Amino acid sequence: MGYRLVELDLAKPPAAIGLEPGQSGVGLLARWRGRPAGFAMIPRPDGRGMSAAEVSALAEARFAHAVLTLRAAAELDALWGEPGPVAPTSLTIAVCTKDRAARLARLLASLAALDRSGFCSVEVLVVDNAPSDDATRRAVAGVAGVRYVLEPRAGLDFARNAALRAATGDYLAYLDDDVVVDGGYLRALAAAIAARPDAGGFTGLVLPFRLDTEAQVRFESRGGFGRGFRPTEFRQDRFGNRLHPVGAGILGAGCNMCFDRRLLLELGGFDEALDTGAPLPGGGDLDIFYRVLRSGRPMVYEPGYAVFHEHRETLEQLRRQYWTWGLGFMAYLAKCRRTDPELAGRQRAIVWWWGLDRLAAVARAALRGRRTELGFAWAELAGGLQGMFGEYDRSRARSRVIREGVA
Amino acid sequence: MTESPWEILHLDLAGGVAEVARRDHGLFLVLWWGALPLGAKALLPAETPLGRDQLLALASPWVADQAWARARGPGAAPRAGFDGQPHHDLSLGDAARLPVLERLAQAAGRSGQGADRLAVIVCTRGRPGMLEACLASLAAQDAPPVQVVVVDNDPAASARAVAADRPGVTYVHEPRPGLSIARNAGLAAAHAEFVAFTDDDVELHPAWTGELVRAFDTSGADAVTGLVLPASLATPAQRAFELHLGGFTSRFTPLLFDPGFLEETREAGPQVWRIGAGANMAFRRASLAGLGGFDERLGAGAAGCSEDSEFWYRILAAGGRCLYEPRAVVFHHHRRDWRGLRRQYRAYMQGHVAALVAQADRYGAPGDLRRIRRQLPVYFARTALGAIQTLDGWRLRLLAAEVIGWTAGLQYLFRPGWRRRPGVAPGSRPVADIGAAQHA
Repeated sequence: MGYRLVELDLAKPPAAIGLEPGQSGVGLLARWRGRPAGFAMIPRPDGRGMSAAEVSALAEARFAHAVLTLRAAAELDALWGEPGPVAPTSLTIAVCTKDRAARLARLLASLAALDRSGFCSVEVLVVDNAPSDDATRRAVAGVAGVRYVLEPRAGLDFARNAALRAATGDYLAYLDDDVVVDGGYLRALAAAIAARPDAGGFTGLVLPFRLDTEAQVRFESRGGFGRGFRPTEFRQDRFGNRLHPVGAGILGAGCNMCFDRRLLLELGGFDEALDTGAPLPGGGDLDIFYRVLRSGRPMVYEPGYAVFHEHRETLEQLRRQYWTWGLGFMAYLAKCRRTDPELAGRQRAIVWWWGLDRLAAVARAALRGRRTELGFAWAELAGGLQGMFGEYDRSRARSRVIREGVA
Repeated sequence: MTESPWEILHLDLAGGVAEVARRDHGLFLVLWWGALPLGAKALLPAETPLGRDQLLALASPWVADQAWARARGPGAAPRAGFDGQPHHDLSLGDAARLPVLERLAQAAGRSGQGADRLAVIVCTRGRPGMLEACLASLAAQDAPPVQVVVVDNDPAASARAVAADRPGVTYVHEPRPGLSIARNAGLAAAHAEFVAFTDDDVELHPAWTGELVRAFDTSGADAVTGLVLPASLATPAQRAFELHLGGFTSRFTPLLFDPGFLEETREAGPQVWRIGAGANMAFRRASLAGLGGFDERLGAGAAGCSEDSEFWYRILAAGGRCLYEPRAVVFHHHRRDWRGLRRQYRAYMQGHVAALVAQADRYGAPGDLRRIRRQLPVYFARTALGAIQTLDGWRLRLLAAEVIGWTAGLQYLFRPGWRRRPGVAPGSRPVADIGAAQHA
């Protein structure tokens, strides 16, 4: 059922890819000079692997233009000369986690291996969010150079705000505990910050960590968290997208994002009524992307700033994730409508757009008789409906109780 | 879509690092590398300013595309597939080794060709003011053409005052209405190895004639078309046409349409309109022998349009080749008001259906009629759903004009008299011959 995840160095002649029993496809991550250049999901329902010639033909069709584009950018960069020297900045990496010590250790190990020379200093914070035991504290104790912060109030955005209060870096990068960073993570982030000191935030590529289960394969095949392999800049308006920036999901994902810390402080941090865990697990990333753009600062998507995300393992978990996407999006929209009436037209239009889009997804899956797809599409639509009717207010009430209960 | 007029900015990156300052109005940014147009992008005020790194990010995919498309040397271009997209043929080895900027520099040199083998035909009808600007841009060509033919299709001969006494201009009065008739009259009056057509609502880039001649000489193609950029984006209707509907041609890399393009598409219907636009097209005279000129049942003033693409169809069917070369640039004044744009779209669709009928009658490829029956209604439905989803009322009104045009076009299917009428001059080669020659 799973796919084999393979890395392909485009500078070298490709080798054949064999499949193990039970594997039914290949997830191919292509790199050029170490930098992610493209990703392809290749179904092999008969379980046969790919010969070197097949890999080569596929790489040529899918990735050759990406290589040429990267080389064109490099040649232009060299021709136009280095931009003026940039004062190196400091970075805080905050990992918000709850009761997942093993995954946290895996992430910390991947962070320890990075070359930190792009920043004048890099500190790593682990925010332990309302833990049920001391496993996280013990996991952190064994790692040098990692600071432990306890946030007893349950909720991802409580944890993110705790990180914001504890951080000292000029920039603050957030990671979820279910990711592992790519070897180029810090280098690409440092380069992006140096090139765009005016940007208020950065998002990066999210690749699959493994594709072992049907749910993981389905999630990645439906687009996953992928936002492509081209650097992209976002500002308050976007030609050709009249719903921008309300449709903030195109900017990236909360599991891999970074902000100018002072800007986050000015904006008042994350909205603790979003991303509250079980009742409303989502929307916080959309909300902060939207507020950064509305503050007038651009955001930059940089594909080299990449992480690998462990996707949901079971179909039931995945269905629930789509439900939370609908719920979180609509709760976030409810908040936008309340706090930013200037864009009321776009906020109304996106509800209409989103509703029709998801209804069409439900209709397509139903007409084609795809039950699993129908379940996903319906879950997202149902989540959206629930989010539309008062979920943000309910969540605000809940988060107030949490805040006061612990304080 | 009711903001102030947009600015059109042409920026040459070959000179080194450039920047675009902040604007408080929309900006249509056209990037160039010397004589080579690289690409164009619409920017809202909030998307400016652009610094070094933003321009680099914007330009690098375009630069890569140029390096690939022009890597096979002057006059050679990637082959077009049935949908007008290039056949992908970049190998990983080339992608890894191609000297990108070197190729770009080679392709970006100005054409050194004279245009004394080129005649330019401008057909006009009742727009003497625009014709004046068009003729002025012709007079300012780096390589002056050997002859300029102005065909006045206005029964009142309104262009006579503007064109008749200009040096180097042949004035032809063709009172029978119809763009095809006017173009055929121009062909008859033009005496040169190459003939280029443009319209009275067009202004020409100074290198236009030189680039056309270079394209013919380096490629050996039978027809050349070029890039049509907007001359102004002052009104919402002009912006809708250029920025949302794609304008006339918006591809910046060359493309070769050969008989294989027709062969590939017998079933699906060859998308010959992707070859170019009538406002910027040229032909090798010798290749037209036996083709019989433009179909006088088609074109503005008759069925509506598509006399140009139907003509390219015949060239390809006769074994000829058409090269789209975006280095040959013209600037078109799009319709200023919504009514004009809707009229244009209605005529486009009616003419398009008429041309599909004419092509099907001539060559019997099943794809053309299938497009009328199936592809176009599907396109209407998709467009309607999309416009409803994005709440674009203007698109729905424009779509209504297209559906009316399509409905009006259906008449040609059911008019045996129209279908039997010879649209092209006698003496053209019979269809069977062309088919036989091609398959021989």
